[in-house]
Amino acid sequence: MFNLLYKTLRERRYFILGWSLGLAFLGFAMTTFFPSFSGGQIDGLLTSLPPALQGLVGNLQDWKQLPGYIGSQVFDIRLPIFASILSILLAVGLTVGEENKGQLRTLVALPISRRKIIIAKWLAIVIICFIASVGTVFGIEVGVAVIGETLDQMVLVRLGLFTWLLITALATLIFAVGSASGKRSLTTAAGIIVAIGSFLLTTFAQSVSWLKDYEWLSFLHYFPASDIARGTVEWGNVLFYIILVVVSLAIAFLFFPRRDVKVV
Amino acid sequence: MLHQPVLEAKNLTKLYNGVAAVNAASFTIQPGEIVGFVGLNGAGKSTTINMLLGFLKPSHGEVILFGKHVSLSNAATSHQKIGFATGDMALFDDMTGRQYLHFIARAYKISTQTDTYQQLVEKFEPQLDKKINTLSRGNKQKIALIAAFMSDPELVILDEPSSGLDPLMQQHFLDLVRQQSEKGTTIFMSSHYLNEVIDVCSRILLIKNGKLVKDIPASELEIGAGKLVRVVTKAKVSPPTAAELIEYEKRSDSYVLQFLYKDKAIRLQAWLGTLPNLQDVTISDHSAEAAFEDLYAVQEVENV
Repeated sequence: MFNLLYKTLRERRYFILGWSLGLAFLGFAMTTFFPSFSGGQIDGLLTSLPPALQGLVGNLQDWKQLPGYIGSQVFDIRLPIFASILSILLAVGLTVGEENKGQLRTLVALPISRRKIIIAKWLAIVIICFIASVGTVFGIEVGVAVIGETLDQMVLVRLGLFTWLLITALATLIFAVGSASGKRSLTTAAGIIVAIGSFLLTTFAQSVSWLKDYEWLSFLHYFPASDIARGTVEWGNVLFYIILVVVSLAIAFLFFPRRDVKVV
Repeated sequence: MLHQPVLEAKNLTKLYNGVAAVNAASFTIQPGEIVGFVGLNGAGKSTTINMLLGFLKPSHGEVILFGKHVSLSNAATSHQKIGFATGDMALFDDMTGRQYLHFIARAYKISTQTDTYQQLVEKFEPQLDKKINTLSRGNKQKIALIAAFMSDPELVILDEPSSGLDPLMQQHFLDLVRQQSEKGTTIFMSSHYLNEVIDVCSRILLIKNGKLVKDIPASELEIGAGKLVRVVTKAKVSPPTAAELIEYEKRSDSYVLQFLYKDKAIRLQAWLGTLPNLQDVTISDHSAEAAFEDLYAVQEVENV
């Protein structure tokens, strides 16, 4: 199993490097923008935004303090978009991507049980998501140093761990759809619907009144980054993502060993 | 003493949208046999092999490997004793050949320092240090074949294994199959190359439209390669005894008789001498491929 885990990670080394550097750059760049927003010069522009668009920029009060700014501007809005793309590409590639290339058949021809294949690939997801989260945090740390600010390390630890949980949960959900169905269109569609649907629900629910009732359906509802940055961690949210991971894995465990593997 | 069969397919059926890709195929393979599995494209060879290995779930019937029922979820257990390669095996492109074979060795919990591995590498001379995605099809195929045989498996299942190999490597492959057979390895292989099947196989299964239509000794296909005789006469004649009629056509002013002849030439000569108003005669070699076509024309299941 560790043989397969190593192979999976090795095959994705450039993916890991690219995404980690990309997310590190996102964290770094967004952090270095903080002084421009904290001085109050942009207050007028932000307050003049139509209410419908204010959901896209977050709570204006969060912009004044570095933890709030990072929570709302990096983790609350931008990171989930990129993390969703990462999750979709990773999970689709590990499941239907390999299956459509015929490589999954090569794997299941070996004396490696299908459940071990699931575990090895899922562990690869967990590790890759962790490295990407660390990359983001590292980029922010460098950014904080560059702008000469200080930031409580626990803020980044909490946000980093929650980001890891968020990306892992989303990737595991898509991974489960891919493993259970073997269908690329279904897997990709599921990932895109969850990611875009969640983003739209969470951002526009602040301004579109009827959406508020459905916001709990958003994947991002359970990732209140601004609150986490302020030190509030709701364990119910953690539990939600953990349950989602467990249920998704159970689905993959149940269906993958019982379905035909595509023969290319 | 009766040996336990290595492989048993019982009433194996695979339906796609109600259409049978494989229809009630049943056969048994004994230890040490080399069985050729032949049929046209789309006949159901690969689907059968994919069910045998637990990639596809049979719609009906069952597969028994080494005495144990195989399902999709437990197939990996039997794979420890099985080597597998196809002509279009999807290897892991990002690895070099050496890395791929090391990965396979670790999956089988064996070393790459074995004599078997070294002999296979010497035989096929693969380009081990190039990335697989830069290799030609033939070179990829060499690596796939080494991977299939390197664990000294009890059963090797091959689906069009020599496609992509040059004639020299094809010969090396056939030598390897013979060597493995001498060691007692059971081999089940599908192939498009009939001469290859006749050359190494002891038994041949023919599949047509998903149904197993023949289960014969390979020698029967070899013997089937006799002489193809075509005579044109003015009067109606009957073919000689021991001839297999292929075609009889009545034309406006003549009769055309075509048959396969496997008996002694002198008897054919004698029969030709008896023909009244013989207008034309053609005698040609009946190739293994042609013999296969004749066998393939059989509709009823025989000896299955």
